[in-house]
Amino acid sequence: MKRLETPSPAALAGALALSERRLTAEEARAALAVPMGEAEENESRSLIRWFRRRYPTPAARLAYARRAYRRWASARPVAPPGTTG
Amino acid sequence: MGAMEGSLFEEANFFRAIADSGARALLIGRRALIALGIPVLTVDYDFWLHIDDIASFNAAIEPSGLYPTHTPEEARTRGRYVAENDERVDVLVARSVPTVDGIHVAFDDLWPRRRGLEVAAGVVLAVPALPDLILTKRLGGRPKDFEDIRLLEALRREDGP
Repeated sequence: MKRLETPSPAALAGALALSERRLTAEEARAALAVPMGEAEENESRSLIRWFRRRYPTPAARLAYARRAYRRWASARPVAPPGTTG
Repeated sequence: MGAMEGSLFEEANFFRAIADSGARALLIGRRALIALGIPVLTVDYDFWLHIDDIASFNAAIEPSGLYPTHTPEEARTRGRYVAENDERVDVLVARSVPTVDGIHVAFDDLWPRRRGLEVAAGVVLAVPALPDLILTKRLGGRPKDFEDIRLLEALRREDGP
């Protein structure tokens, strides 16, 4: 079995550029026009309910997020794409 | 300028100092989504700050080891700045910003509709009302901002009218 290799700096940079690019007005309008399907809504609401049940206060949620990010960052050489803002 | 003083940062103290400063600051971005109940990953803090409150905001966060990249005068001209150390705080100070699809969003419209969230024990920070937070996500215009909008719409349906 081939061992999974770490992406090259160029590949990481490419992924970052894709995640940070600014959509055009047309692309934005198209994205906003996509209706939320029942499955997507149910999945998202289920995730929100779990998170709120597990961490019932904003303070607890924020503390969890800091812990989760620290765990993520400690396992990776660079910040994952799409984690700003 | 204390480049390696990250150990000074403690989130509750950081939030408390902002709340106590009286600066009109709205927590936006993914940190606001998390506080509201959406589990997403983020590395930084995003605030939309009233343009007249830059100095008081900066004074409040300096004890957390966060130093602005620009003077208040420069920030007013640029419309945004960063305060950083080993934490990063993106601060928007423009009075009004257009969304990627051309809607102008003004701080003075959002501020009266804000809601308070207890982000640490006894510390209440302001976040935009949910429809306004969705609008602020359209300022960034990145693919992930539109993914976040879908999650915020799901949250809006979850919470009801």
